[in-house]
Amino acid sequence: MSPDRPESLTPEEARAREAVRSLGVPAADPAFRARLQRDFVAGRIGERRVLTLPVPWYRRPALRLALVPATFAALAALAVAVLSVTDRGPGWTLMMARGDGSVTVDGAPVSLASRADLTRALHPGARVSVPANAELELMSAAGLVVQVTEGTELTLPATPGRWMNRHVTGRIHHGEIRVTTGSAFAGAHLQVRTPEATVEVTGTTLAVICEPTGTCVCVQSGVVKVGARGGRMEAVPEGRRRYVFNDGRPPESAEIRPTEGVALGEFRDSRSRWLENQPR
Amino acid sequence: MPDRSVEDVTAPAVSGSKPPGAAEAAELERVRARDPEALAVFFERHFDRVYGLVYRLLGDRTLAEDMTQEVFLKVHRAAHTIDPARDPVPWLVTIAHNACRDLWRSNAWKLTRRAASLDGDSPLAETLSRGTNDPERDALRNERERLVQEALQKLPENLRTAIVLHDYQGLGHDEIAALTGVNHAAARKRYSRALAALAIILKGTLG
Repeated sequence: MSPDRPESLTPEEARAREAVRSLGVPAADPAFRARLQRDFVAGRIGERRVLTLPVPWYRRPALRLALVPATFAALAALAVAVLSVTDRGPGWTLMMARGDGSVTVDGAPVSLASRADLTRALHPGARVSVPANAELELMSAAGLVVQVTEGTELTLPATPGRWMNRHVTGRIHHGEIRVTTGSAFAGAHLQVRTPEATVEVTGTTLAVICEPTGTCVCVQSGVVKVGARGGRMEAVPEGRRRYVFNDGRPPESAEIRPTEGVALGEFRDSRSRWLENQPR
Repeated sequence: MPDRSVEDVTAPAVSGSKPPGAAEAAELERVRARDPEALAVFFERHFDRVYGLVYRLLGDRTLAEDMTQEVFLKVHRAAHTIDPARDPVPWLVTIAHNACRDLWRSNAWKLTRRAASLDGDSPLAETLSRGTNDPERDALRNERERLVQEALQKLPENLRTAIVLHDYQGLGHDEIAALTGVNHAAARKRYSRALAALAIILKGTLG
């Protein structure tokens, strides 16, 4: 191009200059050249070429925002469902059935000879009527054994849950039950209602006897709170009993009935080993 | 929005370049108006020069493609500033050189060079120039070009620019001085140093 003054070069420099001058035109990628020319002519050169893929529904911001509380709600619901399924355990289990004839469960007779049928029928909330000369013993994995004596009618409480629903309530319509608890019952709470009295059990061995004139609560060990329905609850220590009359008289306290003390002692002794083997 | 940096580019007065003829001037006038047909002709006429220059300066096919696109982008943005009475080649060379200089000054380039120096010599493109009908001759020429290009890449960027602009693009020292912002004597001295350094490198490779 411009006529520069000739340089004085060494042979090596002259050869280097000639090597550069003889360099050819590098061949560009034809596809690149064609694309660049097309874009240059069309005025699209320099436009950002971004492949826009459809955004999956789960990546859309609004949905993702909505998914956060929904996910938490679903997880919470799942946790509650799992807990409620695993919390309750197997329910009532028949430990012993003595006598002939049949027990009435929710108005339907169930033979005392058929242990499987009885176990299936005895669900929480079931109204159970035990005939004369018969006796049932039911146990719960929550460390609770209930002996239902002859001629008793009751509504079974729910079995206490492992972590939740530890407070349960049952009813005695007439007759007598004996209750004893183990260490697995710690923290649980059983309330027994009779037509005239309320009994709060938190861990003890006791009998609740529902008689025509009132309710007698005999405490063999531990402490039980007893009160008239709607009245003040009072603690009944071991070796004592409290009688709640159904004619309005004030409750009376006295020594435990001797026969009941013996019966409760035998009951406790017969089930203590099993109760202490229950996992907490 | 027009690229001010390109509009401000003052192409060096190329003493050896001829002013365009009437037909070419008319065509440049249509390029100014961004007429698609004129743009296509302009591209065909100047693509090889631009691509060749940036390839020789950068020594990398991918970078050369990026830089060529950058140059033509700037040309398209500043097309309305083209002077139909002047040869557009110096203007294009200036844009191409400035684009390469900006790249060399960028942090991204410095990081790339650092990584390349750790990895060792980066291989050059296998095919450097268009072939002929003689495969053996093509192979020998390609091998020679590869060695020369590798030698150029070993030069510092300012020396490489001096020798590529002078001996590959055919620019005079005064044009290079105007383009690189140094005086004529400095441009000439830089070229001498570049040639001496290249000669030493090639002595070891070409024998």
